[in-house]
Amino acid sequence: MEPSPLALEQSFSGASEDFPALLRRKGLLSPAATVDPTGRAPSSREQSWKPTEATTILAFKFSGGVLVAGDRRAISGNTVVYDRADKVLEIDRHSIMAIAGVPATAWEMARVLEHSFQYFRRTQLQEMSVDGKVRALSKLLRDNFGFVMQGVGMVVPIFATYDFNSNPGPRLYFYDAMGAQFEVADYAATGSGSPAVRSILYYENNWGTKRLQKLGEDEAVTIALRALDTAAESDTATGGVDRSGKIYPLIKVVSREGITTLPERKIAAVFKQTVA
Amino acid sequence: MIEEPYRWVEAIANRREYIETQLASGSPIAAVGYGDGILFLTLGRARQKIFEVYDRIAMGAIGHPGDIERLRMAAIELASTEGFTRSAGDVSLRRLAHYSLSPVMKNAFEQVYGAPFLARMLFAEVGAKPEEDLFLRVEYDGAIATNGATFAQARQDFAVLSGTGKSTELMESFLKTEHAPGAPFEAALKVALDAWSIGHMTLQKNDAKELPERAAVTKHREEQLAVAGIEAAILERDANTAIRYRALSDEEVRASIQQ
Repeated sequence: MEPSPLALEQSFSGASEDFPALLRRKGLLSPAATVDPTGRAPSSREQSWKPTEATTILAFKFSGGVLVAGDRRAISGNTVVYDRADKVLEIDRHSIMAIAGVPATAWEMARVLEHSFQYFRRTQLQEMSVDGKVRALSKLLRDNFGFVMQGVGMVVPIFATYDFNSNPGPRLYFYDAMGAQFEVADYAATGSGSPAVRSILYYENNWGTKRLQKLGEDEAVTIALRALDTAAESDTATGGVDRSGKIYPLIKVVSREGITTLPERKIAAVFKQTVA
Repeated sequence: MIEEPYRWVEAIANRREYIETQLASGSPIAAVGYGDGILFLTLGRARQKIFEVYDRIAMGAIGHPGDIERLRMAAIELASTEGFTRSAGDVSLRRLAHYSLSPVMKNAFEQVYGAPFLARMLFAEVGAKPEEDLFLRVEYDGAIATNGATFAQARQDFAVLSGTGKSTELMESFLKTEHAPGAPFEAALKVALDAWSIGHMTLQKNDAKELPERAAVTKHREEQLAVAGIEAAILERDANTAIRYRALSDEEVRASIQQ
């Protein structure tokens, strides 16, 4: 282990230093990428090396909290790299970060974020507020923007959590690659298959049998599966549901009680009944 | 003056005496292993004394709040950076205490022109099985006592922390005979409360040599429970989440005592 903790330096005060800053001071996290004002992103034709990318994710509020779903495909250019990618990541007991974009960067961000929340709670003896958590992810995205400009490392996440404060309830946010956060009332989708997914969620929310927020769990799973399957229909980067390989999207639910990962057999049963 | 060896030894002895006096009034903390985890318990909530360090590690401490805070932050910082750069499974209490905290504390203690750490700490790490639970007590001079078996002592699944050596010793001898390894939570809670009461009674009497009478312990325990708040936390063995630490509320503990 690191022999000289910063906390034991004479000048140390217990005031909270954020975890990424601590890692950077110890040289354990690369410095924020700088944006080269004269540079421009290489076009995809110039760029011979193509980063691995994760594709479509979606999330919406339903009667049991927030449902977050992601297909399982990771691609590089037009090659399928992996068909069992996990894009819906648990950050703490009540928070999920779902990712579209470069997994190398996104998984590192998830790790930093997870440790940031724990580190804050352990050192400051209180849970980080939802606003604080949302902001922490925003800052990581901002720090990464230099890489985005260089044509590598673009990440566009969705963040879902449960707020226990003044107005308790599930919260849902999506981000852009620069780190702007947008809170949404009903649903969010990012990644290459998101136009189709957004259309479906918009349609269902307005003219479906019920508003999304009123759906029961099985109905919500049905919508999520149909949306991802529709996205996969026209977007080759989205895996949707692999019928022959029996690979289903990953679906997690955030509620007051915490995070539940829906078992694959349950998703398979809903799929068989209402989607296939 | 401390260039002379004798003066240095004298300075160290004075410093030891000073620190012992400062720590003497610290309310005891008992940590006992039970079937499903490890329980930390103390009474009196002037300020928090039991803390989460990492997924499977908790600590209790007595001493100066400023020093406890710096050591606690250091422990969390070391564990968190290790858990981040490698994995949570690579964070170990043994390494944390032996390689990082102990040398720093010894150094501060022996540099007689600098300030020593006015703190005594009790750590525990929950294992997959009760036999793998690790308990460590780290003294202000960097000395470490563990629950491991040595030629003079069988392996223990408990550890205690108190203001004086006598109090610590009596608490330990009580737990040695009364605490059954793998006990259910309620039994572990009762025995921890009694151990705390014995430690607390010993601190109040200067001449205590032996364990007090059963009835006196019960009486003291009931008196203290009536006036003081309970601070407790557990490290759960079979939790489905990575984080095993959970603070117990006063009401939660009192409800378990009733059973």
